[in-house]
Amino acid sequence: MSIFEYNGSAVVAMVGKNCFAIASDRRLGVQLQTVATDFQRVFKIHDRLYIGLSGLATDAQTLYQRLVFRHKLYQLREERDMKPQTFASLVSALLYEKRFGPYFCQPVIAGLGDNDEPFICTMDCLGAKELAKDFVVSGTASESLYGACESMYKPSMEPEELFETISQALLASVDRDCLSGWGGYVLLVTPTEVQERVLKGRMD
Amino acid sequence: MRLDVSAMENSFTGQVNDCAGLFGAGADMPGMELPTCTDFDGFQKETKELMKNKKGTTTLAFIFDKGVIVAADSRASMGGYISSQTVRKIIEINPYMLGTMAGGAADCQFWHRNLGIKCRLHELANKRRISVAGASKMLANILYSYRGMGLSIGTMIAGWDEKGPGLYYVDSEGARLVGTRFSVGSGSLYAYGILDEGYRFEMSVEEAGELARRAIYHATFRDGASGGCVSVYHVGPNGWKKLSGDDVGELHYQFYPAQVTPVEQEMADAPAA
Repeated sequence: MSIFEYNGSAVVAMVGKNCFAIASDRRLGVQLQTVATDFQRVFKIHDRLYIGLSGLATDAQTLYQRLVFRHKLYQLREERDMKPQTFASLVSALLYEKRFGPYFCQPVIAGLGDNDEPFICTMDCLGAKELAKDFVVSGTASESLYGACESMYKPSMEPEELFETISQALLASVDRDCLSGWGGYVLLVTPTEVQERVLKGRMD
Repeated sequence: MRLDVSAMENSFTGQVNDCAGLFGAGADMPGMELPTCTDFDGFQKETKELMKNKKGTTTLAFIFDKGVIVAADSRASMGGYISSQTVRKIIEINPYMLGTMAGGAADCQFWHRNLGIKCRLHELANKRRISVAGASKMLANILYSYRGMGLSIGTMIAGWDEKGPGLYYVDSEGARLVGTRFSVGSGSLYAYGILDEGYRFEMSVEEAGELARRAIYHATFRDGASGGCVSVYHVGPNGWKKLSGDDVGELHYQFYPAQVTPVEQEMADAPAA
């Protein structure tokens, strides 16, 4: 198994009408053995910007700590929060700095930009950005996630419907992957509130 | 009148085995055709690599005072992908003998069916049922003759014969072990933890079935390559009977009901000035 499949992960983000949702599974494993079922993969950068990190868990945690550090410095200098597009460029640059010894992570960035416009993007472990208008996926279950999201996604969904769609897509996909699952975690962000929910999934 | 024994002839032997005869030992050894290629050993090595990591499963069987309990999960995985959640891993060889599947699905299904055929022929030829020891020995000998060729089988033969309950572990390396408790597959270590802790020789059939169910459930929780449904069978003096087939996803919430997590931070409206 490759290094990206060592811990197992599934992350997906979807765009709705003036809102976005980002979801991940909750399993931490060491190859086939499950070690934890409450592992956090989606992290907050600021109230309107979240990053989900799939791939090697240790690199995900370290990368998150570095990004929070850089964002805090930015906040001190600029006296405001980073825009999602700027943050995506920051992540991309940080990953490419390690071009010849990369972080084994695939980030999924989701945020609300100017005028409450939702922004999502994903990148590979070297920082190649992929902007999308509808959904982005990453992790060991990414192929199943692509299929599920493609069939379930509709543009301009309201928050409740978006939550339902992303949850079903995530649970259906991780049920076809040995290395991810064991529950789900969904974060739904609108201009006025943030809802986080834990999904009851198959624990096998 | 000439007795028609063509049914007893082995369809695999390409050549005529003059030292064997129909009832000789040699006729039982199937001789499958080998592929013609320049580098046979290299080809075999590649085939073996192809089949590696395929014992992703959990099966268990144990003997207690009322017979044998056999249980298995139902997931088939190819690397990280789950190819099926509804695989039947407990194979019914005949009405009083069961075999479990771990390793290559095709290998297990084929050789168990082949074993079933041989057991039936034995019954017809000898006018009595074959013993579990005899059946497992037949399988073990066949697998030993294919040793090194990349078959991947880790099976348990469980049954009830004149000597009472019988349980044997047979694998594609040629091992054949007699015992009272076995678990096979990537999730076997987790199942052993539950099985060894809860095992007693005197148990009721329900208790034994529940123990097996819990052991497989715990293995599906921890092992990524096991999951789906738990099937539990009981082999008694009158043959085998399926005790239960439960979906593991639902079993988890029966054993560990979901608790509503207390809300840590709830946004309240700002107090009016």
